[in-house]
Order: sequence, then C-alpha cells, then structure tokens
Amino acid sequence: MKCRRCGKQAEIELRSHHTAFCRDCFKLYFLRQVKRAIKEQHMFSPRERILVAVSGGKDSLTLWHILLELGYNASGLFVDLKIGGFSEHAREKVEKFAQKRDAKLIIVDLEKEGIPIPKVVKKTGKEPCAICGQVKRYFFNRIAYEQKFHILATGHNLDDETSRLLANLLRWQMSYLVDQGPVLPPAYRLVKKVKPLYRLTEYEIAAYAFINNIDYFAGKCPFSKGATFLRYKHYINQIEYEFPGTKLDFYQGFLKKMKPFLTPFQREETTSSQVCPRCGYPTLAPLCGICRLKEEIEKAG
Amino acid sequence: MIQVRFFPENKEIKLEGPLTVKQLFRKLNLLPQTALVIRNGKILTSDLTLKNGDEVEIRIITSRG
Ligand SMILES: [Zn+2]
Ligand SMILES: [Zn+2]
Repeated sequence: MKCRRCGKQAEIELRSHHTAFCRDCFKLYFLRQVKRAIKEQHMFSPRERILVAVSGGKDSLTLWHILLELGYNASGLFVDLKIGGFSEHAREKVEKFAQKRDAKLIIVDLEKEGIPIPKVVKKTGKEPCAICGQVKRYFFNRIAYEQKFHILATGHNLDDETSRLLANLLRWQMSYLVDQGPVLPPAYRLVKKVKPLYRLTEYEIAAYAFINNIDYFAGKCPFSKGATFLRYKHYINQIEYEFPGTKLDFYQGFLKKMKPFLTPFQREETTSSQVCPRCGYPTLAPLCGICRLKEEIEKAG
Repeated sequence: MIQVRFFPENKEIKLEGPLTVKQLFRKLNLLPQTALVIRNGKILTSDLTLKNGDEVEIRIITSRG
C-alpha cells in the first residue's frame, strides 16, 4: 500500500478515510485533526494555561506531547491512585515523560490524602471504577481551579466518546447525554474541560505514539476486570469494520443534530454556588463527596 | 516460522509463513485496526506479507473486555 500524499510505502491505513499514509504524512494528518478540533470547537487559545490530566497511558501522554509540540502552555496532573503493581509504573512513565521535555508535572498522592483506592474499596465496598472516577474528577477540577489554569484537557478519543455515546443512548441516559461532547463549559469554581483528541481513533493514537517514541504505560488496572465500556468499544469497532467512517459520523451527527435539542440537566457540581466548608469544592451537601469519603475512611480506621 | 510477540503481555507464538497481515488478524481473531503489527520498527499495512524468519510485534490497542 502506498502513501496517498507522497507515494512512499504506507505504514498507517485509515479505512474510514479510504486512504493510507507513510509516517511523515500521517503526522501531518494527525496534527491537522487536533488543530481542527481545537479550532472548530473553540477549545482554547495559545495564551491560556492548560492542565492535562495524565494517566501514563497512550492517550493522555500523546495529548500532552502534541500540546507541547504545538507550543501550548501545558502542564500535567497525575493522580497516584496507589494501586500496587499498577500506579507506580504509570507514575514512573509520567515522571520520565515530564523530565525529558522539561514540562511541569503536578502529582496528587492519594496515600497522603488518606484515600488510596485499594483502602477505599476495602473499607467501603464501593465499586472501584466509580469511586476512582469520582476521586480523579475531584482533584482534576480542584487543582485546575486552585492553581489558576484556564483549561482542563483530557485524552478521550473517538472510541471512548462513541462507546459512551452508544451506551448512554441505549439507556436514554439524558443527564449524561447532555454533558457529552468535546467541550464542557466552565461553571462556578470549575474550569472549562476539553478533549482535543476526540476526532482520532485509538488506532490512530497508538500509531502516533509509536512513531513518535512516546513511552507510555500499557498495563491494565487490576480492578477493571472486563469493564463493560470495552464491550461497547468492541461492538462499535465491529460496525466500523463493516461500514468504515461510521464512528466519526455517529459522533459528529450527535453533536450537530441532536445535542442542540437537549436542555441542560442540572448537575450538582455545576448548579451549586455553594461550596464545601472543608475544601471549597462546589457541592449542595453540607460536605462534598470526597470530604465525606475521607471522614468515612478515618472512622473506619 | 514467523515469531510473533505480543505487547504489553510479552507472550510469544510461532506461526507458519507466508501470511499476509490481513490473514494474521483473521487467524488471531482480531478486527483490523485494533492492533498494530510492527516489523523492524515499522508499522505494516494489511496487504504486506510476513515470511518465515520474520519477527513481528503485535500491540493490542483495543481489547474485547
Ligand atoms: Zn507520505
Ligand atoms: Zn470537600
């Protein structure tokens, strides 16, 4: 297979675009997709300070890599979940990445916060993925706001977005559908959230990470055994295989044709102008979810 | 034989060549574009053929869950 742009041997096949590229031309294509996402969705300007939520995986490190390459002022935030045999390896990759590029990295250590994930799961019996998501979201939001970042960027890709969209549609989860999209506007004490990789598939990101020598962590979280969203990804990829291009059309169609009709649901975090007296996080309750959790863990000893 | 190493699992298998990348995917029950096939530092497109003696790495991108 030859590169459509320059005729050299191709390395990356893009079935959805009925084309293939060599690595140099693929890089151009990839950067163009990111720039287009940033511009079309009015994500941010070159002057704004961006906080990238990094897990050590291919998506978030690729996002950080690209934002730095494009000259943006992008710092990283890593939440060390303290999941043995997993978090320390992810952290090492993130630290090396930041060192190599002389980029600013902020680390939240859940041990120091008193809520390492394995302990929380053991003491409360809560579902690990749900609690982990809640804790990460809390620190991403809080640190972005407190350290005066303008933007919180995450590495969500087209596969993440479409599998979530499908899952939400199948259950008509209106409150989730409203919030779905590449940009979530700012709210009281919450900075704007963006997903600059939303136009790119996991395959494209993995290929980009490989040809750019981005050293990422590919291990699996021991808690996420057969997460259901992976099933949805698989089903969507099966449809994409038979009808190339469906994924991007499905998502873009939702944004253009459906989303404008959805009236914003009231989310606790965004509707409240009341804050947690302990940590300042927006909440309607007397204490925010994380401060309540900390209390629960302390009591349990 | 073709030496196939899986990343990140580090598992290894051997397959009888020649085999196109497309056939390799079918053999391993993988959908196209859910894994990268890498030989000598290059990603291979589905039309390319693997020969006996080749060493390839397969990076699984999307697992079935
Ligand atoms: Zn080319
Ligand atoms: Zn609080």
